[in-house]
Amino acid sequence: MSPFGRRAATASGPAGGLVDGRALVERVGALRAAVDAGGGRLETDAVAAAEPVLRRAEERLGLGTGRTVVALAGATGSGKSSLFNALAGLPLAQTGARRPTTASPTACVWGPEPAEELLDWLEVPRRHRSDRESALDAGDQVDLHGLVLLDLPDHDSTTLAHRLEVDRLVRLVDLLVWVVDPQKYADDALHARYLRRLAGHDDVVLLVLNQVDRLAPADADATQEDLRRLLAEDGLARADVLTTSARTGAGVAALRGRLADAVAARALALRRTEADLEDVRASLARGVAADVVPVPAAEDLPGADQLVGALAGAAGVPAVVDAVEGDHRRRAARRTGWPPLRWTARLRREPLRRLGLEGRRASGDGEAPELVVSSVPAPTPSQRAAVELAGRRVGAGCSQGLPPRWAAAVREAAAPPGPEVADALDRAVVGVELPRTSPRWWAVAGAAQVVLAVAAVVGLVWLAGLGVAAWLQLPDAAVPAVGPAREDGTRVLPLPTALAVGGLVLGALLAAVSRRVAAAGARRERRRAAERLEAAVRTVAADAVLGPVARVLAEHEHVRSSLAPPATTPRRDAPRRTARRRAGAAASAAGDERRGH
Amino acid sequence: MSEAGDGGQLLASLERLRTELDGLRLPLDLPDAGRGRAGAAAVRDQLDDYLLPRLRQIDAPLLAVVGGSTGAGKSTLVNSLLRERVTRAGALRPTTRSPVLAHHPDDAPWFTGDRVLPALARSTGGDEPGGPAGATSPAASGLRLVSSPAVPAGLALIDAPDVDSVVDANRALAAQLLAAADLWVFVTTAARYADAVPWDLLAGAARRGASVAVVLDRVPAGAGDDAVLREVRADLAGMLSRGGLGAAPLFTVVEADGGDVDGLLPEAAVAPLRSWLDGLAGDARRRSLVVRRTLTGALDSLPERLAPVAGAASAQASASGLLHDDVVAAFATGREELETELTDGTLLRGEVLARWQEFVGTGELFRSLDAAVGRLRDRVGALVRGRPAPGAEPVGAAVRSGVADLVRARCAGALDRTRDRWASRPAGAQVLALAGPALELPDGFDERVARLVRDWQRGVLDLVRAEGEGRRTRARVLSFGVNALGVALMVVVFASTAFIPTGAEVGVGLGAAAVGQRLLEAVFGDAAVRALAARARADLLRRVDELVDVPRRRLDEVLDAAGVDDAAADRLAAALADVAAARRADA
Repeated sequence: MSPFGRRAATASGPAGGLVDGRALVERVGALRAAVDAGGGRLETDAVAAAEPVLRRAEERLGLGTGRTVVALAGATGSGKSSLFNALAGLPLAQTGARRPTTASPTACVWGPEPAEELLDWLEVPRRHRSDRESALDAGDQVDLHGLVLLDLPDHDSTTLAHRLEVDRLVRLVDLLVWVVDPQKYADDALHARYLRRLAGHDDVVLLVLNQVDRLAPADADATQEDLRRLLAEDGLARADVLTTSARTGAGVAALRGRLADAVAARALALRRTEADLEDVRASLARGVAADVVPVPAAEDLPGADQLVGALAGAAGVPAVVDAVEGDHRRRAARRTGWPPLRWTARLRREPLRRLGLEGRRASGDGEAPELVVSSVPAPTPSQRAAVELAGRRVGAGCSQGLPPRWAAAVREAAAPPGPEVADALDRAVVGVELPRTSPRWWAVAGAAQVVLAVAAVVGLVWLAGLGVAAWLQLPDAAVPAVGPAREDGTRVLPLPTALAVGGLVLGALLAAVSRRVAAAGARRERRRAAERLEAAVRTVAADAVLGPVARVLAEHEHVRSSLAPPATTPRRDAPRRTARRRAGAAASAAGDERRGH
Repeated sequence: MSEAGDGGQLLASLERLRTELDGLRLPLDLPDAGRGRAGAAAVRDQLDDYLLPRLRQIDAPLLAVVGGSTGAGKSTLVNSLLRERVTRAGALRPTTRSPVLAHHPDDAPWFTGDRVLPALARSTGGDEPGGPAGATSPAASGLRLVSSPAVPAGLALIDAPDVDSVVDANRALAAQLLAAADLWVFVTTAARYADAVPWDLLAGAARRGASVAVVLDRVPAGAGDDAVLREVRADLAGMLSRGGLGAAPLFTVVEADGGDVDGLLPEAAVAPLRSWLDGLAGDARRRSLVVRRTLTGALDSLPERLAPVAGAASAQASASGLLHDDVVAAFATGREELETELTDGTLLRGEVLARWQEFVGTGELFRSLDAAVGRLRDRVGALVRGRPAPGAEPVGAAVRSGVADLVRARCAGALDRTRDRWASRPAGAQVLALAGPALELPDGFDERVARLVRDWQRGVLDLVRAEGEGRRTRARVLSFGVNALGVALMVVVFASTAFIPTGAEVGVGLGAAAVGQRLLEAVFGDAAVRALAARARADLLRRVDELVDVPRRRLDEVLDAAGVDDAAADRLAAALADVAAARRADA
């Protein structure tokens, strides 16, 4: 077995293990899904470029991998056709000195299985197809069974049509054999236009330095090494370089052996497809962030609290909680206030009723909250502006580290249309069950106030009676007294005085104390109302802004993770050194072989 | 020669063109900017390397540049012509990286200075450093001078780098050298003669009418190849005549099959080319013909070559104009919204309205009118209710925060609109990156907004105070309190353009404004109130304008710093017109 054979075997079964067709079909599906999910947020160019490659991959996999399509590509005059004929053993392709020689691809098929479908797919003209399987050849072509060899037109002549044909076929074939010659191996047309774009396709690219008979042996080795260096710069460090001479036949057998191994492994179609898909993945992946972008829960997004604050302001939450507090105070005053002044509380409008929040609950009917529109003042322009600003901050904070298109999507999601939000806010505020408690002590204090008031009235009337009696010079009636006893056994405080003064003072005192206690209760109720309203506003914020933003972030993360590099194939770095060494060994072996000729 | 004498005007106009090209900046990354920059650099180089020196000294030695594809055998050809290894030939591509200029010893003074190719440092003798070169290898910026008696006097040969290898610097240098050549000796081979890249250059040379000689090199020698040679030669000749180069002399050099002496081709192989060059060097008339032909062609091609440059320059100007317009439009919209919202009564909602109603509706306004009673009642009320009565200050605070939010939001909106518009422009990404923090509100903007509103409020109070200086009104102003009247004036200003109430809230707001208006009219009179409101409103808008200008100016500065020269295209066209006029005067 030739050294190329060993190399070929390792190339078709590299570190990552053999790829199989089904896995690749799945990968095509995954990439399509990523394109669909990413939509317009991936880079337009990459998305546009992806679809043809994905379609090609499916078509190629659909055609089966039993056949291996190998194309001889290269510059005009490098000897593609001569090499093609040398491999075929028959003068199938036209050769000549006039440049460019070959105008349309020529195909040669080894083996009995039909290849018509494959050749139709490749659009090789029927008159340029030959079968290399005749009784005359007996068994000596058996090693190439399964091979479809194409001779491509040149890619660098003044004839543009040739270049377009090469461009088309370069995307389709399984193994690309680039035939170069000592004059042209460093042409920019080859390296910039083709090889650099094939970076990462090391397994399915083979360089053949033809016309090596024109070089002195030392120059041949140096040239081969130089070509290898240029390949490494192109990103094809592991691609093989062979030397041949179609004229003397040197190296043709080795090339043939290399092709035989490639055909036998039956893996090149898969390798090529895999490399193409990896290209698609890598170019699509440039449209997403390189690293994981965290997807926090909606309420933990940066700037979420400020947004909720701004929305609460726009929803009139401060006014509502003020009203709740005031309502509590007023009701307390009405129930526990000093009876002679209780009526004044009725003179003011109920704050909750004024906001349209009280009647609904008080009436207790089944009207759906959606149908009720509160009369909470509509948000002012500055409140709307504050909401916009807060939304913009959320957008700016969440678009950190995202590629521009995703960042724009996040910013868009963070800036919802104003009227809808205002509506949602209004519904949320109306839907909140506001706390409206009537503590039991109100009744007790209220009753006490009544008792005290009655006592005061009784005392006053009594005193008045006494006064009238005194004015009429009626004899003093005994007035009962209360309080500590004096030395003579009488009490200090006359009862009517005690009733009147006590009733008044204690009533005022009780009213004052009640107000203090009720104020504390009102503050508690205000806190509870604020909590409930804030929760409602939070829901609106989550529905209108934070949720959509989190969804964009989640979509991005989904697309990003489905476009992350496959973890199982550390192929780019690890095998390079050994491949290089093997390639070196192959080169010296090739040198030996050439000197043998 | 006569050209050197009256070519002075042409020379001056070309020097002016050179200055224009040197100063030309195409900073925006527009689609055609790269082409424009490259075109400007190429023409500038040609002016330096060829046109200016040639016009200054029309009888300087003829410069023949041997150029062509990599591996075509240029270096071997030059060595063989000189019968000496002056330049390295080899199997590794590309071989020649720094150009070699071979001249007759008598012609040395023409080339040792920086008369031609001033950008290339001169060196003499020694071999060039070898070693592999990649696409990104640095440009070999030197020009090696080799003095050899084998070069005919009156002619110098340059061994140029290839025009088509992977080494970018080589291709650039080759293009520069070809542009500086009086005569292009185009070297190709039997395998290469149909390559697209050199043919593009040849077609360019044909268009310009440059003098070209073609060498078909590396023709395989030996029996049976004669037919091949004839076929290839005929094909190439056909291509040349189709390409407009039918007049170019075509030489064939047979590849020595291992029979090289020191890597040189046999003398006989290069004899025809050699004798053609000798004849050219020796015949002053023919030489001058070649020189004039190429010179005229180069001058003729200037407008065509500068068209994309001028196009790129005017594209820069119009792109920059569009970017400026975007800023202007975005801020004009923001300013308009702001003016509307500040004066059409929409501010009289929510917080401001609530505080105003609290101030007016709860009687605080009228309570504060009777200061002594009011203060006592306030104190009693505070005692009973546990909190002080609201005065004018809460309204002022509400106004402050309302106006500040509005200004900040509209400025941020204008910046956002600018960002969006810029993002859709061709050079958008670049400008957005340049702008960076200028697309955010500046640091301390919030404080500036707050200061603006405070200053305006102070101004309004001053207005009221000044208006109240009149003997009759003074007492009334004092009785109402300056603060209360100031707040009323603010409320009037906020509704000053609201003629048609459109909704309940606006109605309420206008009612509030009407209360303020009546109060003010009672104090100052009808006409005075209108004048006061107009002045206060103008003052507010002026201050707002000043503030809005701050972020807008920052964006303008960003665009100005990008360095687009609006007049560059015009100046370039003017310089070209000068050149054309000078040539007409010469003719």
